[in-house]
Amino acid sequence: MIDERRLRILTEGAKFDVSCSSSGSKRKNSGGMGNGYPSGCCHSFTPDGRCISLLKILLSNNCIYNCKYCPNRLDADVPRVSASPEEIAELTLDFYKRNYIEGLFLSSAVDGSPNDTMERLVRTVKLLRTQHRFHGYIHLKGIPRADEALVREAAKYADRMSYNIELPSERSLKLLAPQKSKESLLLPMRQLCEERRVFREEKRKGLFLPAGQTTQMIVGASPEKDGQIVRLTQSLYRNLGLKRVYFSAYVPVVHDRLLPDRPAGQLHEHRLYQADWLLRFYGFTAEELAPEDEDLPLDLDPKCAWALRNMQLFPVEVNRAPLEMLLRVPGIGGRSAQKILEARRYTKLTFEHLKKMRVVLKRARHFITAGGKFYGANSDTAVRNLLTAGEAGENAVQLSFFSDAETALSALTGEL
Amino acid sequence: MIYFTDGTKEGFLTAFLCAYNDEDALLSSVQTQLALGQATVFVAADPQKAAKAEARLLSYDKDCMQDLFYLLRSGMSDREQIAFRYFKLLADRKRPVRGMLAEDGVIAACECIRKVTYEIHRMHGFVRFMESASGALYAPISPDNDIADLLVPHFRARLPEFPFVLHDVVRKKAAVYDGTNVFTAPLQSAEIVLSADEKKWQALWQRYYASVNLPQRERLKQMRGYMPVRYWKHMPEFDRQEPFPMETPV
Ligand code: SF4
Repeated sequence: MIDERRLRILTEGAKFDVSCSSSGSKRKNSGGMGNGYPSGCCHSFTPDGRCISLLKILLSNNCIYNCKYCPNRLDADVPRVSASPEEIAELTLDFYKRNYIEGLFLSSAVDGSPNDTMERLVRTVKLLRTQHRFHGYIHLKGIPRADEALVREAAKYADRMSYNIELPSERSLKLLAPQKSKESLLLPMRQLCEERRVFREEKRKGLFLPAGQTTQMIVGASPEKDGQIVRLTQSLYRNLGLKRVYFSAYVPVVHDRLLPDRPAGQLHEHRLYQADWLLRFYGFTAEELAPEDEDLPLDLDPKCAWALRNMQLFPVEVNRAPLEMLLRVPGIGGRSAQKILEARRYTKLTFEHLKKMRVVLKRARHFITAGGKFYGANSDTAVRNLLTAGEAGENAVQLSFFSDAETALSALTGEL
Repeated sequence: MIYFTDGTKEGFLTAFLCAYNDEDALLSSVQTQLALGQATVFVAADPQKAAKAEARLLSYDKDCMQDLFYLLRSGMSDREQIAFRYFKLLADRKRPVRGMLAEDGVIAACECIRKVTYEIHRMHGFVRFMESASGALYAPISPDNDIADLLVPHFRARLPEFPFVLHDVVRKKAAVYDGTNVFTAPLQSAEIVLSADEKKWQALWQRYYASVNLPQRERLKQMRGYMPVRYWKHMPEFDRQEPFPMETPV
């Protein structure tokens, strides 16, 4: 059994990977322990409001690389520990059995060579899958510069893999993560994307990365604008078929003259998640959300901001508007839009109906009519003022934002 | 008139037939709060009447018994009344009403059903097993709704080699998987002899829980929104005398 000290060091080193999702796997139980839960399952929540779904842990925090922002970089003076594949497997199984977790998110510092490290990671997941017949969720974070064959082997056992592109531009990556290069990260991502495509096209037996790939980038440590970040995000979805792009607001853990001393704003991070949601689910394009050399506004969510720039399209009539348009109304999310579509088949909807159906009208009323009636403000400026009212400075927004019950629940996903 | 039922499906369907033409009908299986001056009647479940009502309702909507199933599992004291209004609407309209989301009766029923199914989903994550000396797993739960047995298929599918007990300590009953069969049984309280390592695994889990938190980002309201405090009592991560120092150097 792993001891508390190593567990603590190895999990604290892993927690900056924000992904904890366990969705996308339909792996069946064929004897042994565990199965997939396609929609994902949260097992606990920590006081920072994040979900615990997976056991997120490093095999080792002993790194030969020297990424400037990382607490485990070569230069850092921290205790170095590692765990054996057997210890990780045992921990995973015992946590899983007690229903603490939905599976394992395994990564590692580059301990020895990239190939050595990747080989140990693969050995761990293989041990779980074959010897212990574990069918719960496994997310494996790949090591850049490891051999193609190891990447392929890993994908046979993992449900999801990720290579973090770390920073939103090649220039920043060179500066802050000198041993990683754009190619060392994109190459295995392309390989997996291509092999997964072939696997599916040929309808081969078994599973190959059923939950696909994700990635993560740090925002606020380098000068890229949001416009650039959402374009990069969009291209990762379109060209590499990623399932999810995560953002992590920069938290200074080390002092370096190349890095800011202040943490990046969480509201800023949240706006990026909202923009990401609009890309993935509501049919927006990056170009609609922000010009390349500009940031997303902080005082308004990106859908509101888009709507205010496009007032000529509003108001739309809730009894007629197609789904695509309902989803573009500020304040109307996916669930509300579906409810409206369903309910209007039976009756002509009024504002009373919408209220009873719990469609939030605070923002939406400026952009819709119901049965021809309009209850919004009568000029674009008035609408803008009402939508940003009471949210004066950035700090006021930051503070109030995450303690507001209505928005608190969407704060993690960026759902709008 | 207030119609009291025994809380079962047959009881509800029998009362439904009796109350159908009563404009002021109120259905309930909870016998507290007798309204003063209200006439009351206890409706005994009648299998024949119930079958008749069921057949008629099914002819309007072949999926409606699934709705009733979840409604009657609700922990809300007015569940029978919510179900009554929903099924009355169904009987009046003579076609599925599930999508009529602007109707009060449908809104109330949908919300009630959603609470039950949402809690089932939540409990898939929030249940905490402890390992007994025999290797069987035991989890005390106190859900809002009567769902202990509805959690069994999920855990049985993923832990087929482990017998387990889900003990609803509020309703004092247990849903059991003995490694082969599934059954429910009344259970007042249980004395569990823990396995030798159980406490150590709990301690490791508590350590893990404290380690993954980002203390500079406290968002307690959000945390409680996702995981209401009433669920914490059976979770070892909240079962510490002293909280972990969340931010001391390693
Ligand atoms: S490779 Fe870079 S980010 Fe990863 S552990 Fe090493 S120093 Fe940290």
